[in-house]
Order: sequence, then structure tokens, then C-alpha cells
Amino acid sequence: MYPDGTVALTGVDLVVRPGEIHGLLGENGAGKTTLTKIISGLLPPTSGEIRWKGKAVRFSSPREALAAGIGMVHQHFALVDAFNAVENIALGEEGGGALGPVRAASVRRRLEAIMEESGLEVPLDTPVEELPVGVRQRIEILKMLYREVDLLILDEPTAVLTPQEAEELFSVLRDLAAGGKSVIFITHKLAEAMAVTDRVTVLRRGRVAAVRETGETSPEELARLMVGEELPPLKERAGRAPGKEVLRVEGLTVPGAEGRPAVRGVSFSVREGEILGIAGVQGNGQTELVEALVGLRPWSGRVELLGKALAGLGPGEIAALGLAHIPEDRHGMGLVLDFTLAENAVLGRLKPFTDAFGRLRWGRIFRFAQELVSRFSIQAPSPKVPVRYLSGGNQQRLVVGRELSKSPKLLIANQPTRGLDVAATRYIRELLLKLRDEGLAILLVSADLDEILELSDRVAVMYRGAFAGILSREELDRGRIGLLMGGAREEPVG
Amino acid sequence: MRKLAETLLALGLGILVGALVMALWGHDPWSSYAYLLAGALGNTRALMSTISRSLGLVLTGLTFAVGARAGLFNIGAQGQMLLGAVVALSCGLLRLPAGVHLVVALLFAAIAGMIWALPVAVLKLTRGVSEVISTIMLNWVAHWLVLYLVVQKLSDPILGQRTFTAPLGMRFPVIKGELTWALALVLATALFFWWFLWHHAKGYEIRAAGLNPRAAAAAGISVRGAMFTALLLGGVAAAWAGAIQVLGRFPYAITSDLANLGSLGFDGIAVALIGRNHPLGILAGAFFFGTLATGAAKMGLRGIPIDMIYIVQGVIVVSMAAPEALRLIRIRRPAVALREEEG
Repeated sequence: MYPDGTVALTGVDLVVRPGEIHGLLGENGAGKTTLTKIISGLLPPTSGEIRWKGKAVRFSSPREALAAGIGMVHQHFALVDAFNAVENIALGEEGGGALGPVRAASVRRRLEAIMEESGLEVPLDTPVEELPVGVRQRIEILKMLYREVDLLILDEPTAVLTPQEAEELFSVLRDLAAGGKSVIFITHKLAEAMAVTDRVTVLRRGRVAAVRETGETSPEELARLMVGEELPPLKERAGRAPGKEVLRVEGLTVPGAEGRPAVRGVSFSVREGEILGIAGVQGNGQTELVEALVGLRPWSGRVELLGKALAGLGPGEIAALGLAHIPEDRHGMGLVLDFTLAENAVLGRLKPFTDAFGRLRWGRIFRFAQELVSRFSIQAPSPKVPVRYLSGGNQQRLVVGRELSKSPKLLIANQPTRGLDVAATRYIRELLLKLRDEGLAILLVSADLDEILELSDRVAVMYRGAFAGILSREELDRGRIGLLMGGAREEPVG
Repeated sequence: MRKLAETLLALGLGILVGALVMALWGHDPWSSYAYLLAGALGNTRALMSTISRSLGLVLTGLTFAVGARAGLFNIGAQGQMLLGAVVALSCGLLRLPAGVHLVVALLFAAIAGMIWALPVAVLKLTRGVSEVISTIMLNWVAHWLVLYLVVQKLSDPILGQRTFTAPLGMRFPVIKGELTWALALVLATALFFWWFLWHHAKGYEIRAAGLNPRAAAAAGISVRGAMFTALLLGGVAAAWAGAIQVLGRFPYAITSDLANLGSLGFDGIAVALIGRNHPLGILAGAFFFGTLATGAAKMGLRGIPIDMIYIVQGVIVVSMAAPEALRLIRIRRPAVALREEEG
């Protein structure tokens, strides 16, 4: 349980046997990372116990867990860029002291022995910054072996790897397991769970959905377990059928970190009175896709809003063409937290509130803020209160209200209900449906599959920067979407 | 309101620590503070002197404040101030009618301040060079350049310890005692900065860009544009700080060691922090700073060692500047945390 009262895990049982590669499978927010943080001593559990080699244990820090033989490799490596492998591994060793030539030689000898035994080869003398990500990961694993762990926890280890590197990692893990080490392998990719694990525990919303022997299950079953069975009730559309095309995207490619494209040649369109949902596990290019469309990232391809090409336009110019944007990170991008409610109400649409000399018309700004407050039921003591002091739900109502007051033609809503309470979530979802019925074109990006299924007329599933498929309302089926989210191939990208 | 209470609390704390230091070295703290107050505010003449000393600090404080509002740590006021002083004085070589001469001098000083801020802005906005580094370097360039001009080119042929004096028609008229109508320029500038930041679209953009550059960019605000404006406006204010030392204060010249320009630019940082980077707060902060400076000089006359006075002054100023300095540091931190999360 988190301090803010969010329960990340409820009554989860997990059993890992010696010499086993155990998969931990689940969507974002299913509780995979929280569970492993508890095991590796980063978080204390509220209740329950951990038994390690037959004894009940309670780790108060990762150091204690490591001393007991449990080590975790995080998604973000803990390596010093300017150091080589030997220096990095010797760093932080219990009672290590300074790394003089004598100690360096002994560390090196042990590492060479471990490398020989495990088949895990890394260059020992090259500074880490010059090594590819896959090799850095192996150094992290080597570090854990050097510390003599018996249980190795890997948090989404393939997220940063190329397919070849991932394949090499799998063979290293198999060798380790054959040598008697246990591995917990966290993933949301079905193919990996099938390929490398011996057993899989599937988590859904902080509970264990099932435990399966990998040999006795199928990707289809795992996908179903991961996303659940039932479809939410279909919302009847009250308005007209989708009208003319508002947004047209062809072959959109967006560069990401480290030079690899984050979005690879995506094509789609959104029409009036339609919600196109983009489902997918976070980090598959959704953020980059949205930031490119609103003008915050360079991209290539063709994008047209109401027939006008968006190439080379900045966020202000694109907004002026009729685009409204509810950003996924409302604190970082949607609001200036230390600005007042009134100041935030006109963020990005200052023009109508200034005169010819650029003077602010405070009277108008306050009237407008007051109008948003009453129209979108924002609970706030006054328009002069800094939005930092509003609740998350009220902050989001302000963002949504401000964006909609631009009378947009296209609304891009990125994770519009993330972190909101039930009432605010329902309010925003119903608002989106109402706007769609009134003819607004909406592009909805959400990692919450329920939200996508409840609101979307069509659903695109994003995986590794591309659309794994676009499904119409009639074709929607959780199992199929789960498969696509987990990287199973279907029809050619459309 | 909370900020005011915080500042007053810090003031009280600073005074107590200062008293403790004086007591430890055998001086009676409370009578020393009484000298300080009497020396700075005790009679009209002292009060005029205090206000007059505060004026330059208001302007350099504004320089730092408008930069901080845009998310910059602009410590270039010192160099811009020196340059403003020397350019304003050089206008004395022109022959112009009284009054017009003053306006022209201020205009040229403003241009000089902007020119000195320009490389900072260009390097920052095109190459990402930290304004901290570039302003420190330019401060030294300005320092030696101005020293050269003052000693080699503008010095008074008879009194070598200072430059020639500004012609009468180029000076601010005297109000009373040491105080001149430079006061009006300073008040108007502070008022303008306040109006600009809270009542003009460009000022709004500066504040948005400073508090949350990502949100500002997403809202179509040019963060670079906001920084550019803030740096150039800051250059003007700092240059005027130098100009009024020459045109609005005895000796209406620059001394050959630049002592009458002093460290106005750097002191402005402390003033801005005490005034919470708010133009009206800065008026108060500068007056407070001026009180300490004038009063301290009078304390010295009572036999309290000058080093002791500096220590006490420093303790008080640091404790008053601390709350805002900490806040500025805290604003930066979420940005870093955010990058790590995304990493």
C-alpha cells in the first residue's frame, strides 16, 4: 500500500523455486514492480510475510536483501558512466575500501572466473559509457553474480534491448537457472514470457489472476488472464454517425531517445463525432506520438488537420487551427502549479484576453475563470488560489474546461483520467462521450484498457512504435487486444 | 502574507545572531544596533543618504528578479552596471541642452546594457550556454574595460583619482541632501517591471516560462523569447543602476578604483532575494540594504571594527535572503526528478 492510500497489491502469493525462471506478467499498474520492490527490500509490505530459503525474513533495505542473496536489476542501471566494469562492480562492495591495484586485480580474477563459469562475457576495461545498453545490462547481472545472489530479479529487462540482445539475455538466464539460480522476470510481453520462463504468475490490478506452468499455457490464455474477461457495457451513441475526416496521419515517424524511432510510420485518421482510442502498454510510443501531433517534437511523415498540413508548425499555431490537448502529465505540461486558477485558465489562449498593446484584461480573465469554475464544477475557494492547492480532480477539470473552451475541432486526450478519483473519472468520461455525440473528433490515448473499451468507436493498439492493428467497435475483444498489446502479430499494420 | 512573516522572522533571527556575534567579541549589541538605526534613519540628512544609496540596488535587484522570473540565474548585473555608468558618463563629452542631455545619457546607457546582455542571451538560446558562466565572464570583461576607460581615457586632467564630472545639464536635479530625482526614475522602473510582469502578456509569458517551461511550451509560449526579453530588460535596469551613480549622486563621476560603483550588481542579487523577486518587495529590500550600509558606516564612527560590521551585515542579509534562495532551488528540483522518471 502506498502512503497516499493506494493499494498496489492485495493478498498476493508468489512462490519461486530454486533453479526456476519465474515470469511476472501484467499490465501497467498491475503491481509487478511494487511486488518486486517489496521482495528486494525497497518497500515494506503492509501485511504478509516473505519466506526466503525456508526462513521468514524482513528486509529494511536493498542492502540487506542483497546480503541475503536477493538482487534486483532495475530498468535504469546503477552504473557510473566513466568507470569500467571492474570499477563499477567493486563500487559499493561491503567493506571494499579504495580500489587500489591489488584489490582491482583480485576483483578482476573473480570476475573472470564468474564469466567463465556463467558464459556471461563483458569487456572489463572499457568505460561503461562506450558500451551498448545490452552489455551494460550484463554488467549489472555480473555485479549481482559477484555479490553471490541466488535470486535475481529483472524488471522489464528487454525494454531497452534489441531483439538480438534480448535473445542473448535469454540464453544467459537459462544457463544461470541451469546452474541453480532463481530468476524473477518481469514483463508485459507475452512472447517473452512464453520463450524464457518456466512458470508464470499473472497479476491483474494488484491480485494474482493465475499461476501457470509455461509449458501448459498459451499466449491467448495469458492475454486473457492479463486483461480480464468481461467487456464493459457498450455505450449507445446518441448522436449522428461519424462525419468528415478531421485528422489525417500518414507514415508518421518520430525519433525517440538514443536515435531509435519511437514512432515508426503510423497512419490513421480521426473523423467528426468519433473517438479513436489508442491502447497499449505505456512506453510503446504513445507519448511521442501525441507530442509530435501537438507540435512539441520533430517528426516526419504527413499530418493534416482539417486539410491543412502541420509540418513545421509550433504548438501555438497548431492549437490555433483547432486542436485542443489534454496532456498526460497535467502537472508538468497542463498547468503552471504556482499560477493561480485564473492565470491557468488562460494558459495557451491569452490572445482574447489582451488588448492591442498586449495588456492583460484581468476583468475578462476573472469572469472567464469564474465561468469555467461553474460550468465544470471546479471546487476552488477563489480564482486567485494557486492551482497547486486544488485536488487532482479539480486540476484536471480546469485543464479539460480550458481546452474545451477553445471550441476545438480535434481533442487529443492523453491519459485523461489517470490518478483521478471515481467521481472525477466518471465526469470526464461522460463529458468525452457527450462531446463526441456533439460532433467533436477525439483521439484518446490511455493505458487503461477499460477506458479505451468503454469510450472508443475504433481502437488502435500500439506496440513498439507501430500500430499492431486498428479494430472497429464490432471487432473489439479483450483477448485479441491483449494479444496485440503483448506484441503478437496480426494483420499487416493499417 | 506568509512570505512577509517569513522574511520578518528571518530578520529577527539574523539580528539575534548578529547580536550574539557582537556580544561574544565584547561589544554591546543593542547600543550598536541603536547607532546603526540612528545613523541611517535618525535625521533627514541620514534618511536622504540612505534612500540615495538604495536606488542603484533597486535597479540591479530588478535585473536579477526579472531573470529569476523567467527561470534564469542572471548575475550579469555587475558588468552591465559598470558599462552603463561609463557610457552615461561618456555622454558628457557631447554638447546638448540641459535635460535633453540627461535623457540621451540614459538612452545610451540602456542601449549599452542591452548590448552587454545580448551575448548572454544569444549563447543561452542558440547554444545552451549557462547564463551563470557567460555573465561571470562578461562581468570581468566589463570590469577591466571600464577600468581602462576610467583610468586611461576619461580621467580628470587635474584630479587623477576620478574621471571628469558629468556636466550639470546631464545630472539629476537634487531633491534634498544627497537625494536626487533619480528616485523618480527608480520608482518608475520598479513600477514598470511590476506592471509588465503582472499586467502584460509578455510578462505573463516570462512568469509561465520560468515556473514551468514545459507547460509554457505546450501552451505555445516561446520560452526562448521570454528569456530573451527578461535578459534584455535586466540589462537596461542594471545599466541605469550604474548611470544614476554617475548622474544622480556625488561625486557625479567614477572614482579611479570604481569604488563608488562598488558591487552594486552583486548586492542586487541579495536585494532581489530579500524582496522575493517582486518589484515592490525589492523596493523594501533595497531600502533595508541601504539602511544597513549607511548605518554601518556610522557604527564605524563609534569604534566598532569594520570587520565586525561586515559580519553582522552579512549574517542579517544571508538569513533574509535564505527563504527565497531555497525556494528557487526547490523549483529546479521537480524538473530533475521528472527527467529521471522519464529516463
